[in-house]
Amino acid sequence: MRGVDASATKLEHPNVKYYVLRMTLRNRTALLLVFAVSFISVSGITSQSLLADDPDNCLMCHQFRGLSRFDEETSRVRLFFTNPDYIEHRLGPHARLACTDCHERSEVGSIPHAPASPVDCTRQCHLADPTGLAREFSHNNIPPMLERSAHSPEILSKVNNTGGPLLNAGQAQCLYCHDEPLFRDPTGVFPRFSEVSSHIFDRCDVCHVEKVPADIEYYTRHIASRFQPARSTLETAQVCAVCHADPLVMQEHELTNTIASYVRSFHGKAALLGDQTTASCISCHVAAGENAHLMIGQKDARSSVNVANRADSCQSTSCHPGAAKTIGENAVHLDIPTAQGSAEYILAAIFIVLTIFTFGPSAMLVLLDLLQAVVGREHHADLRSRELAENVMRHPEGKERLKRFTPRHRVAHWILSILFTLLVLTGFPLKFPETAWAAALINSFGGLSIARVVHHWSGILLVLGFMLHIVDIFVVFLKRANGLKDEHGHGRWFKAWTSLPMWISPTDLRKSAQLFAYLLFLRKERPSFGRFSPAEKF
Amino acid sequence: MPKIAFDKIGRLLQTLPRATWKVIRASLPRAYAVSMILIIGWLTWRSVSYLVVSLLYPTEVPAQIADLPTRLDRESLRKEREAWKAVDATDSPRSPLAHYHRLDTWIEPDKFNDCTRGGCHAPLPHSRRKEVRAFLNMHATSMHCGVCHMETDREPLDLIWYDLAEGEPREAPSIIKAYDALTSEAALARLEEPDAALQKELVTLIRAAAEEAHSPRALRELAEHLAAVRPKSSAFAKLIVAARETLPKYFRGEYGAKLAIQDRATGKPLLGHPGTDADVERYLLNRSTLNDDERNELLKKIHPLKRTKPLTCSQCHRDENSLIPFARLGYPQTRVDSLVHQVVIKMIEHIDKGKPFQMPGFVGSRSGESATSQPASP
Repeated sequence: MRGVDASATKLEHPNVKYYVLRMTLRNRTALLLVFAVSFISVSGITSQSLLADDPDNCLMCHQFRGLSRFDEETSRVRLFFTNPDYIEHRLGPHARLACTDCHERSEVGSIPHAPASPVDCTRQCHLADPTGLAREFSHNNIPPMLERSAHSPEILSKVNNTGGPLLNAGQAQCLYCHDEPLFRDPTGVFPRFSEVSSHIFDRCDVCHVEKVPADIEYYTRHIASRFQPARSTLETAQVCAVCHADPLVMQEHELTNTIASYVRSFHGKAALLGDQTTASCISCHVAAGENAHLMIGQKDARSSVNVANRADSCQSTSCHPGAAKTIGENAVHLDIPTAQGSAEYILAAIFIVLTIFTFGPSAMLVLLDLLQAVVGREHHADLRSRELAENVMRHPEGKERLKRFTPRHRVAHWILSILFTLLVLTGFPLKFPETAWAAALINSFGGLSIARVVHHWSGILLVLGFMLHIVDIFVVFLKRANGLKDEHGHGRWFKAWTSLPMWISPTDLRKSAQLFAYLLFLRKERPSFGRFSPAEKF
Repeated sequence: MPKIAFDKIGRLLQTLPRATWKVIRASLPRAYAVSMILIIGWLTWRSVSYLVVSLLYPTEVPAQIADLPTRLDRESLRKEREAWKAVDATDSPRSPLAHYHRLDTWIEPDKFNDCTRGGCHAPLPHSRRKEVRAFLNMHATSMHCGVCHMETDREPLDLIWYDLAEGEPREAPSIIKAYDALTSEAALARLEEPDAALQKELVTLIRAAAEEAHSPRALRELAEHLAAVRPKSSAFAKLIVAARETLPKYFRGEYGAKLAIQDRATGKPLLGHPGTDADVERYLLNRSTLNDDERNELLKKIHPLKRTKPLTCSQCHRDENSLIPFARLGYPQTRVDSLVHQVVIKMIEHIDKGKPFQMPGFVGSRSGESATSQPASP
């Protein structure tokens, strides 16, 4: 016979239920221990809070993911699934609510359920407070805020998304931004929590399992979760993008694609690279200390992103305290292609054109040169140079005297190469943060904060190296000019300048044309060059 | 004459390796040059086009932000979770907007169900009877359509499990086997003196169960805890109790496997009507142009095994003579008890009679011990 006596499945130890709960939650939670424990010990939480899970037994059916149907009229799936883990593991502040706190008991009390009226998020629900008494709670303070915000019910009611309405008829507009709230895993804020949590909760259990029953972990998670924003920066961007990146919504409400421009800002790039501390939409668009439901359009003088208030918002203690007032003038939402005619656009265009005209000819030369190898064309001039160099090297003094670069130059080149490589490795992920490799590359440097420091210092050192190189050239130039003093008089400065090894002379231009002619099979002989070829000088 | 010819061939063979090496040596730089031309050319083209595009065309919002399932429509049911990049980009992806409750794993489409994969029936096919359509669809995650809709003369039904990843017959789902290994009489005897082999067996089963149920944390961590302690320790004993409490909570119809009618000839699951591919294709191509008679005739051809009247709920959810041989399919008795519980039976009876079934506090605990039915109307 299969099966087991019912008693065998009962808890055999009073601690077991809590033991299981601890085990399943421990590794995902965090704590500001002193605050949480003192709060709980003062409040004296009773077992009431532990008994709130699904009192109406709705999960008997609603735990099945397939409990759903397809509505032919609206072409929508009506999904009636409720994740039981949310309640079982107290994953969020709504986990202690009964279903009938939000859904009308008269409608859902019988099977099949009566047609459900929309959930009203401002109705009273009942929370067991730490003393065990059911307290009424409501979000009814939110609607007045929304009325004054950029997301007033009137505006939200006019939202038309591409592909049709996103909510079912009658659903609360809150759902545009909110889904079932979660406690965030605070190990990002308290990295060592998972290591110490077991010791902490074992000690709490000594008293709080039986003598002063309390769901310590729930309250700890609730409190600890508040030490960071309710959502990650990327999730916030996802929420806002539902409307603010929707072509139809943008067109009808005359909005620009602020999500696209956010992604081009450092904040957006950092968010894509997994940084949890960077600014989200809410960080800037809600004034410090204000409720997120009071988001106001930037033209409104009260808005945190109004021109007059922007610097103050950036300088808030949680963002860039101590930054100059000019920080508010930064074009955070600048999408270069859509800002044609602006100074930034012109600068970007110049940069791009310069890049193309610098690297383009170099790439062309390399490709044509490789083509010569493919067709097996011998470079006579190269052969002669090679033969000459070999002869010199065979001479007893040749090796000593034939030095293309001094140690100083070689060191400078190596430093340049290393700094350039570092700049590429730390800069490309910022340029392409949405790619899969970007985050891996940044993490290989120990995270964005370290990668940023590496990038900045590499850049500074590169500029410093460039300046030293200029000084070096200037010293060489002066030496040459002094050497030519007797011979050329005042003309020595020009002579000294044009005799610098990297000076591009008219001969170089002529020989460059000859080189291209040779590479394009328009000339038989490859031109020979001096110490540096025009390509190297360029 | 032959000797000369052999000498020539011998000399040729001697020179062959050298000639071959010469050719290779001459070809290598060229091959290298060609490959470098391709790489540098491609990189140059990509770079230049990127720079030009980044100057001329507005930036796209990356998939990590924009690629969310915002609407729950028919198409979204055919996609797997991985289809939306934004879902995997964050730890707590939000559900489609119209669904408030957490939906951390997606409804898994059945890649082997011929009824739904061909485009004929939707993955949630029941939509007619308001009273039962959601309940019937609920069974679609653990049962093939054929269980209720395919004709068979065997009672109880000749069913087998098939794997949702491979479409092949398999043993009972791991969660069912794990629960059996914790609660059956044989298991209880073994658990009196647990050893490393039993520990390994349980850990393997619970890990597999977690995998098959889209990796719920509780199951994963339960398996890890069980693996970490000594079999004869008090911690192990506590975890066994905890496992008996935890596993039944994951009987949610997501087992990585489904039940299907067994084909007597092949022993394999019947996942569609055999030999109907051509007719199905013809129907899908021409359905908009068929008249009623043609349509009905073709539909009849497409569904040779279709029951004239599908099974009803009470034919399986009953404590005696259930058409589903739960025990033979591996279900532990406690799970069977809950499937044929009086609450379920009464609820079905009420719905059948068109009477609402009153809910308040009625089912008692989740194990259904104190359940009483409370008809809403006489």
